[in-house]
Parts: sequence; C-alpha cells; structure tokens
Amino acid sequence: MAKLTLVEAINMALAHALQNDPDVVLMGEDIGLNGGVFRATAGLQQRFGALRVQDSVLAEGVIAGMAVGMAAQGLKPVAEIQFMGFIYPALDQICNHMARMRNRTRGRITLPIVVRMPHGGGIHAPEHHSESLESLLCHHAGLRVLCPSTPARAYGLLLAAIRNPDPVIFLEPTRLYRLARQEVDDDGIAADLDCCHLLREGQDVTVVCWGAATHDVLQAAHALESENIDCEVIDLSSLSPIDHNSILDSVARTGRLVIVHEAARNCGVGAEIAATVAERGLYHLHAPIRRVTGYDTVMPYFRLEHDYIPSVTRIADGIRETVQA
Amino acid sequence: MFRFTLPDLGEGLQDAEIVSWHVAVGDRVAVDQPLVAMETAKAVVEVPSPVAGVIVALHGQATDRIDTGAALVDFKLDTDDAIAAPAPAPATASGGVVGQMPTSDHEISATPQRSASTAARTSRAVPAARDLARHLGLDISSLRGTGRDALITVDDVMAAAALTVQPQGSAMRPTLPATAGGEFDVLRSLRRAMAQSMSMARDNVMECTVVDDADIHAWESGNDYTARLLRAIAAGCRAEPGINAWYDATSQGRRIFHHIDVGIAVDTPDGLLVPVIRDVGNRTPEQLRIEINRLKVGARDRSLPAADLRDFTFMLSNFGVMAGRYATPVVVPPAIAILGAGKVSRDVVAVGDAIEIHRRMPLSLTFDHRCVTGGEAVRLLAAIIADLQRPN
Repeated sequence: MAKLTLVEAINMALAHALQNDPDVVLMGEDIGLNGGVFRATAGLQQRFGALRVQDSVLAEGVIAGMAVGMAAQGLKPVAEIQFMGFIYPALDQICNHMARMRNRTRGRITLPIVVRMPHGGGIHAPEHHSESLESLLCHHAGLRVLCPSTPARAYGLLLAAIRNPDPVIFLEPTRLYRLARQEVDDDGIAADLDCCHLLREGQDVTVVCWGAATHDVLQAAHALESENIDCEVIDLSSLSPIDHNSILDSVARTGRLVIVHEAARNCGVGAEIAATVAERGLYHLHAPIRRVTGYDTVMPYFRLEHDYIPSVTRIADGIRETVQA
Repeated sequence: MFRFTLPDLGEGLQDAEIVSWHVAVGDRVAVDQPLVAMETAKAVVEVPSPVAGVIVALHGQATDRIDTGAALVDFKLDTDDAIAAPAPAPATASGGVVGQMPTSDHEISATPQRSASTAARTSRAVPAARDLARHLGLDISSLRGTGRDALITVDDVMAAAALTVQPQGSAMRPTLPATAGGEFDVLRSLRRAMAQSMSMARDNVMECTVVDDADIHAWESGNDYTARLLRAIAAGCRAEPGINAWYDATSQGRRIFHHIDVGIAVDTPDGLLVPVIRDVGNRTPEQLRIEINRLKVGARDRSLPAADLRDFTFMLSNFGVMAGRYATPVVVPPAIAILGAGKVSRDVVAVGDAIEIHRRMPLSLTFDHRCVTGGEAVRLLAAIIADLQRPN
C-alpha cells in the first residue's frame, strides 16, 4: 500500500472518481495542464483528457456558476478554488444557488458539487492566500463543510463528498499537504460523513480541532504528558454538520473543553461548539470552555503568520490553564 | 540514516539540474544550512538541509539532472529519531508559485480507537455548586445529587457541609452542668429517632393548629375509633387532596399522592413508633380493622419490617386514651398534616335552646403553613368532622 501525503491522497481520490464515474468533471484555475499549484491534480488531464479535467478562466464566479449548470444537468463537477481567500466572487453562486437548489426545486434538482480549496496559512504566502473562512460557509444552510486532517481521511472524505448528491465544501489544510505520510489504500471506499474522529484518547481535557491545527494540538498534547495532563484530541472533520454528540460524550468524561482553530475568534466555529456544550453539557463541566484561536485581525504576512496561528505553546498554555482552573 | 530526496520545487517541475554543491561527504551540517544550488527551468534555487547531521553521500555532481523525489543527499543524524510525537522536519525551500510548503516524511500510525476501559462520566453538578464545593474544600464527586438525573445542586453542597438553606434558630444549646446529679440515660433507638425527627420538624415546619370537636352521640354500637378516624381522614383528603402530600423545601414543590397512607402513632415501652396503614381510601372497615391490629401487635413486639414504618402521607395520633382534649400535635416532614384525637367526653352541648349531653371527640389538626392555607385546613377538618359525625 502506498504511503501518501495528503495532497497525493487527494490526487488518488480524484483519479479514482474520474476513472469510475464518467459524470465526474474537474475544473479550476491551472488544474489541467499545470496539475494545480500544489500538484493536487497532477497528471489527471494527461490521463483523462481536457474535457474531464478543465482549465478554467480566471474567474471564480464562472467556475462556481459552471458547476451549478453542469450539476443541474447531471454531471458531478469537482471545482477547485485555488485558495480559500479567492472564494468571495464565487459566494453568489455557492450561497444563492448551490445551497438552495434542492430547497428551491423541492428536491427535484440536487447539485452533486464539490468545491475544494486549500485552507489556512502557514506557508509564507502573499495576501489572500492564507485565509480560514469556514464560518461563512458553515453558517449557510444547504452546504456541507468538510476538513480532513490525514491523508487517509482526505481520500475517504473526498470520495464521499463527490458521491454526495448535495454541495460539499472540501477544505484542504495547506500546511498539511506534505507534512506527513500515511498508508492509503486506493479501495474506492467513501468515509462516513457527519462524524468527528478521535485522534488521541485522554481523561483530563477534551481538545477539539480541525485542519492544520490538529498537527499542533497533538504536539501540545504530547508535551503536556510530562505535566501529567492527559488530553483527549478530537478532529472535528465535519464542520457542518457538527457531530455534537461525540463531543458531548467526551466532555462528559473529561469535564473540560478546549477548542483550537486557526480562523479568527469572533464567530468562529469554536463559538458554535462552545455554545452547544454550554447548552447540553454544562453540568459536566469543571471549568469554563476555552477557545484558542487566530486573532480578530486580517491574516498577516509571513513574518507574523506564526504569531497569528495558534502555536504549540499557545495551545499548551490554553489547555494547562483549563485543567488547572 | 536519513535520505533526503529532491523536494517538489513547484510549478509542475519534474526535475532540476545540480549547479554546485556547498557541502562535501563527511561535512557536519546544521538545519537550514544551504546544501546545493539547483537550477530549475525558471531559476537557480538554494536547497537547505532539512536535518542536522553528517553528510554520508551526495547523489550527483554538477550538471547532473535529478528527478523530483529522487535521492539527493544521505545523512547520518545527530540524534536518534524515535520520537512518539509528530515532529516534522522544518520547511524546505520551494521555488514554487506560492510561499514555502513545509515537507516531511513523517508517517502517521494507525488511527486510535477508543479503548475498552473508558473513564466514567463525571458527576453532574450546577457550576455554582462546583464553585461552592471548591471553596468549602469538598470533593464534589462524593456528593449525592438531589436534582434531576442526580444533578448536584448548591443545596446538596451546603447540606453536605452541614449548613442549612434556611437560617436556623439560635445555635446556642442548653448544656448540662458537669456536677448535675441523677442518672444519665442516653437516648437509644426509638427515642433517639424521635429526638432527631422532632428537631428536624421544629427547624423546618411552620406549624399551625386548629381545633374543633366531632359530635359522635349518634354513633351506633360496634364503631371502632381508629377505623372511623382513618375513614374520616380519607374523607378529608378527598375534600382537600392537596394536603395528602409531601413538601420539598429544596425544590419548592408538593408531591401530591393519590393513595392515602396514614401513619398511626403508637406508644410502646421503647418509645413512639409510627406504623403505616396503606391505601386507607380503598379499604373496607373490616380490612382496616385487621390491618390496624396487625400493625399494633407488630409495633408492640417490634416485629414490623421497615417497609411498614415509612412513607406515610398523613399522620394520626389518637392520644386521648387517658387524658387530653386538645393538643398541638407535631407535623413530621415530609408530610404536611397530622390529626390528633383527644379523649372522648360527655359534654354539655346546646341543641337548639335545650341542653343535652353528647359524647364528643376533640380534634386537633396541625398543618404546615408553608404549603397549606388556613382555608384548606379547615375545609379538610370540616370533612373529617362530617364523616365522624355519621352514625356508622
């Protein structure tokens, strides 16, 4: 079995989908001839041709709009937005049409679209290339939002997203693209949707995170072992809908909750998790719920990038304060 | 040994040409130290070292073309790398379109499953209760919660710390001087239980007593006092069902019962015992009599099981066997009422304008005025009297 990076696993999933479903079409800027700026679609146009793997014009609104039209006519478009920060021109199509088509047609037309995009920063990129905007999309009814943190999960969730009859936003943590390898079997098995995943079992505190933050949270959890703090780490994985039951179950055991996300604090997805646990799990809490997040400023350039992104130290401090509260 | 392969330099480039090496076999290099200048189709880029160590092999010389992903440099590392935690190699330079992508060959092991021995759920407690427990130095997980689903409330914490919610009366207690004479008889068993339950009643119940008489001159022969009183209590509870209830000060509510279980005060040589006769409202007089006798006998020889001595919803004290007309009988929580029946006497009564002599039973009803109004109490008493005054 191949040991793949996350971006290679995505490539494998896309190839599998193109191979086995003639309705799957890829589109995006620089994805065809060039294979994508992060090589996520490398080799696919060569294998499947320019009709199945299309280089789009430099206009996100067109990319998204074409996906709507294609999907309404029975295709399964997998559209790439080159960086999450570029998504704004596409929001009209995503929110006013992709998210609504099932509701608008009373279920007669559904749009089996996947919109995939690199998510988050940490790669020293220029302006607009490092955004984490998941809150905007999670808030909008009619959209599923996924964010895998491992190669195997990226493979399984992408296949599940492609096969889903409704629009799925697929966030690929840029900083994790090549950071680790994992055995990924090209078995074509789609992962379960709508559930989160246990990354580390522990007794003292539940830490919920997703995307690139999972990497730093696991490091912090390891460091805190020497302080006798045993962390339970959950990869949220599905940002909309959120698997609240699993989180509540974990908090019922540990009595403490820390949520870590790179995205800005105000109205981040962490606030939704915190509110739900406060509503449904208050009586199990031994300490206030804590969020360790990016700041409420514009995502900075690379010199300050790692001050913005919750560092291993900042995460460990937050967990420690929660446990010692 | 660590093998460094040529990383993807971006923009779909498949290979690069070695321009010149900055290091040689045997050199010790630090992390990020430039190893080699490589020329891609676009530019000459410096490739820094991903690790600290000693160079063991260089896989090419100047002008050689190296494929992306092919071996470039072999290192002998300074440190053993058996680290459990994920610790990626630092970012390697990428001459690509955007920024610098951190790259590492760290392998993710199998995904963890939740182990069989899962920790028990923590106890459910109101946050204010947790806070209070911490201030008082109490271990909250050792407390029993009285809220819904065993929720631990502030009152539970205070009770555990031997504090009461309502302000207690004076904490002063009269003490016996050390040189007092007489014999000291420590309270045991029933007497001790009475001291405790009466203290609790005193501390909690707001007692109010209303007295009246039942004129029983019309009674036919064969009437059993206790059985008639029990039936009268049932009649009273039908008139005012809200008094056949328990009061819970903590949750500020009454638990109203449909079945009437009457605790009967029985005087035994060891002290006061209160056996309970169940479901009085649905028993015939004969059933009542049989049950009363069973309880009286069992009370005297102390053979009654605990189930017969608890959970009454109304109490009866037929105290007037020897003496005593009216009393202020004590309500024992959680019940909220007690009927005391005094000595039946031949009283002079007015009947119209004439004077007659009738047998009358004095009645004293004490009720908990926290949750029973005077109106409810006298309506209950009126119904009791009405039933008692029937011939049979």
